[in-house]
Amino acid sequence: MMSISVLEALAHFKKPTLVVFVGLAGFVAGIWINSTYFGDASPVQPIEFSHRIHAGENEIPCQYCHVYAARTPSAGVPSVEKCMGCHKSIATDKPEIIKVAQYYAEQTPIPWIKVYDVPDFVHFTHKRHIKAGLECQDCHGPVDTMDRITRQQPLRMPWCVDCHTKKEVENGRDCLTCHK
Amino acid sequence: MSNKINRRDFLKFVGAGTVGAGAGFLAADASKMSTEFLIPQVNLPEDYSPGIATWYNTVCTQCSAGCGISVRTREGRAKKIEGNRSHPVNEGRLCALGQAGLNVLYNPDRIRTPLLRDGERGSGSFSPISWDEALTTISGVLGTLKIQEKANNAYLLSGSVHGHLNDLFALFMDQLGSENYWQHEFSDPASLYAANKACFDVDVLPFYDIRNSKYLLSFGADYLGAWLSPVHYGVSYGHLRQGTEQRGRCVQVEPRMSLSGANADEWVEARPGSEGMLALAMAHSIVEQGLYSGGDAGDWKQALGAYSPASVAERSGISADRIVRIATEFASASPSLAIGGGAAGASTNGTANLVAVNVLNHIGGNIGEPGGILFNPASTFSGDTPRPRASYQDMLNLFESLSRDDAEVLILHDTNPVFTLPSSANVTAAVMAVPYVIGMSSFMDETMALADIILPLDTYLEAWGDSTPDPGVGFAVASIGQPVVKRLYDTRSAGDIILALAHQIGGELPANMPWTSMENYLMEKWRAIYQSKSNDSSAQGFREFWSSILESGVWGERPLQPVRPHQAMSQAMLSAMRMAQPSFAGNEGEYRFVMQPYLSLAFQDGRGANLPWMQELPDPLTSVVYNSWVELNPKTAAELGIREGDVLLVESTAGRLEAPAFIYQAIRPDVVAMPIGQGHGNYGRYASGRGSNPIEILAPEIDIDSGGLAWSATRVIISKTGRRVHVIKTDGTTRELGRNILGQEHGHA
Ligand code: SF4
Repeated sequence: MMSISVLEALAHFKKPTLVVFVGLAGFVAGIWINSTYFGDASPVQPIEFSHRIHAGENEIPCQYCHVYAARTPSAGVPSVEKCMGCHKSIATDKPEIIKVAQYYAEQTPIPWIKVYDVPDFVHFTHKRHIKAGLECQDCHGPVDTMDRITRQQPLRMPWCVDCHTKKEVENGRDCLTCHK
Repeated sequence: MSNKINRRDFLKFVGAGTVGAGAGFLAADASKMSTEFLIPQVNLPEDYSPGIATWYNTVCTQCSAGCGISVRTREGRAKKIEGNRSHPVNEGRLCALGQAGLNVLYNPDRIRTPLLRDGERGSGSFSPISWDEALTTISGVLGTLKIQEKANNAYLLSGSVHGHLNDLFALFMDQLGSENYWQHEFSDPASLYAANKACFDVDVLPFYDIRNSKYLLSFGADYLGAWLSPVHYGVSYGHLRQGTEQRGRCVQVEPRMSLSGANADEWVEARPGSEGMLALAMAHSIVEQGLYSGGDAGDWKQALGAYSPASVAERSGISADRIVRIATEFASASPSLAIGGGAAGASTNGTANLVAVNVLNHIGGNIGEPGGILFNPASTFSGDTPRPRASYQDMLNLFESLSRDDAEVLILHDTNPVFTLPSSANVTAAVMAVPYVIGMSSFMDETMALADIILPLDTYLEAWGDSTPDPGVGFAVASIGQPVVKRLYDTRSAGDIILALAHQIGGELPANMPWTSMENYLMEKWRAIYQSKSNDSSAQGFREFWSSILESGVWGERPLQPVRPHQAMSQAMLSAMRMAQPSFAGNEGEYRFVMQPYLSLAFQDGRGANLPWMQELPDPLTSVVYNSWVELNPKTAAELGIREGDVLLVESTAGRLEAPAFIYQAIRPDVVAMPIGQGHGNYGRYASGRGSNPIEILAPEIDIDSGGLAWSATRVIISKTGRRVHVIKTDGTTRELGRNILGQEHGHA
């Protein structure tokens, strides 16, 4: 039996060590299960908004809605008023659009859940990256094919530095470029 | 040991695996970022982009100085206040209270809706009502008075208000048919106005050109503390000291060393109330030495005859030699400047003291000279109503009429006389005697708690306004105030409230006060100013002018100071000069110490006490935070067996209070001092129930010539209660302990 051969390989370990070993293996497995099946990379949003329909099928440019991307650190989410600008007349009978109209009527913002975030000690700015000629898709992936947005990168530091190195960004490896 | 896995081992493995997996799962969960939201605007704001700061210029109204400020806003929120660099009052600088304006705006104790009293009068119990209801009720009350032609029984008592809001208040009361509009301010320098009126015939304060002076002799004026225009004087002081090759010298005459005294080259610890005599003795010495250049030297010699340094030495506690030396330095430094204020102006002979200081300036040849006393032009505003500044005597008269049967309505705007007047003035009783009291304020305080109805005000960062600084800066200047953020709560500005009331009261009021809002009123007034100055009546021209003054936050107009004839002034001063002896409440044998309450930059007259940043700001001289204290000379303390932290009972003829002792080297042994500001009973979570208020126990002594409160004329008894507290301070010791921190040569500590 399979289990016996494993046991034999481990034969010179004492049993308590084995218990710890199994516990550790379980720990790693637990982390894996959580991040694979219970990940937060693609949260369910308060409104089932589809980038595929807007950016893909209808080919609305990203910055039509994310108006601040080229000008400020944050790209900005469209104001509810902006949504209603089109949806006063388009698809007004769809249940999701009715929800949007309701938010607008009550003058309350839609509580979108953040998919991409960096910690507060990182000074990230969209403006510079767009100035440098990057496409939104370079970091955010094929948004125009996604119904619900799924995070493509964990936005960890090695990923940032890799790109800065590859593109030979001026001062791109300087600590103070991002941490200030 | 057997390698066989028995049932027991198997269960152990399963258990370990399960616990491990569970822990791993939870650890992964914990390492996830918490769910954050992306909250969009409902409507797209036009005036900002997220992440980009927008700066707005406006004016600080936390004290009467009227500094220009630049407020950094992001996403429509005010984040930081700085000085407006192009404003001539503060030249980009700001005092601590100015910085703490954000604490005013975001203060959790702000009143957020109109309030109607729902308990006993004075119980402080209120419930929210709508603006409609509040304004309808109030305009009903005032309208009825007007129709019955009893509007003169309505009173408006405001804190210090400048510029066009003052005009609007005056117009409203006039239209209503009432002559009872007053402004009360604890720190209003009544004696200084009176002295300058007598000497120079001016109604606005002169421009003390500290910046260009080379010798600054201050009689009690804490120009680096809370005197008149602290930021302006602070900047000027820096220039006097370091702006030119020749470092200016500073001498400070006062019984308790203030921040200005601590920065001066010499501290002259004269007896309280003797400052004027000292100034006249110096003038005497200058004339005697033949250093006075006027043609009427003979007259002055005679007039000053009674004030020889020798005769004044005894009464002031300053030796004749020292008086003569300072007088000689003063006369030979050029230019030199003497200023007077603080306790010198708040004695029973306050005005006489300050006239004497003017005399010294005249004898020293400093009047009308750069680096001396220059004059501000009378305002060049259209319809600039003089502020109805109420002296202490005026306030007493006001309270008397409030207590009479015919007083009907009292409107209180942004003023807290219950806290800023001595308990002997019986403010509470006078306010309670009025059948209907309307409060307008951003905060609940001791006086507002007595009201029947309270209208919550915008803070100065949310409202329109303008102001002319007094003292001015030698030429005509106005600061323009604009909202830097949208109002946080359901509040309104005083101007908007007055206009709304005028419209609802009806009669001829709407026609004579036709403006739709404070913003509209201000624009129309400034349109008139623009047109009278420029002869340009085009709408385009005004629009450009208006946006340019909003952008810069300030409007100014040279030419400079009006010139005044010296000869006439000399005569006026000769006749104004006289020297009354100061008198004090409480006999010297029993009430051994003269009490010197003093204003601080952080709290002003107590209004700053509800700002957490001000509470945690150590006092610049004692480094004490969060509390009140009584300053005693070490000799006095040793004699009475008092140590720091002993809780003392301080008794005057008018009241008593308790506060811990603080041993302070730089105070006369026959004087004790206490900071003003703490001791609030009902002023929000940060101020209430902390320390004690020295104003409360002041005797009702008055400066005879101006009617101002002589807050430096109360004697007190000090005794130990037996209790001790820990005085919270940031300093360990005020002594060097041989460490030579100041790097001085041995023996010159
Ligand atoms: S001195 Fe301070 S509190 Fe007064 S106006 Fe200037 S900044 Fe404001």
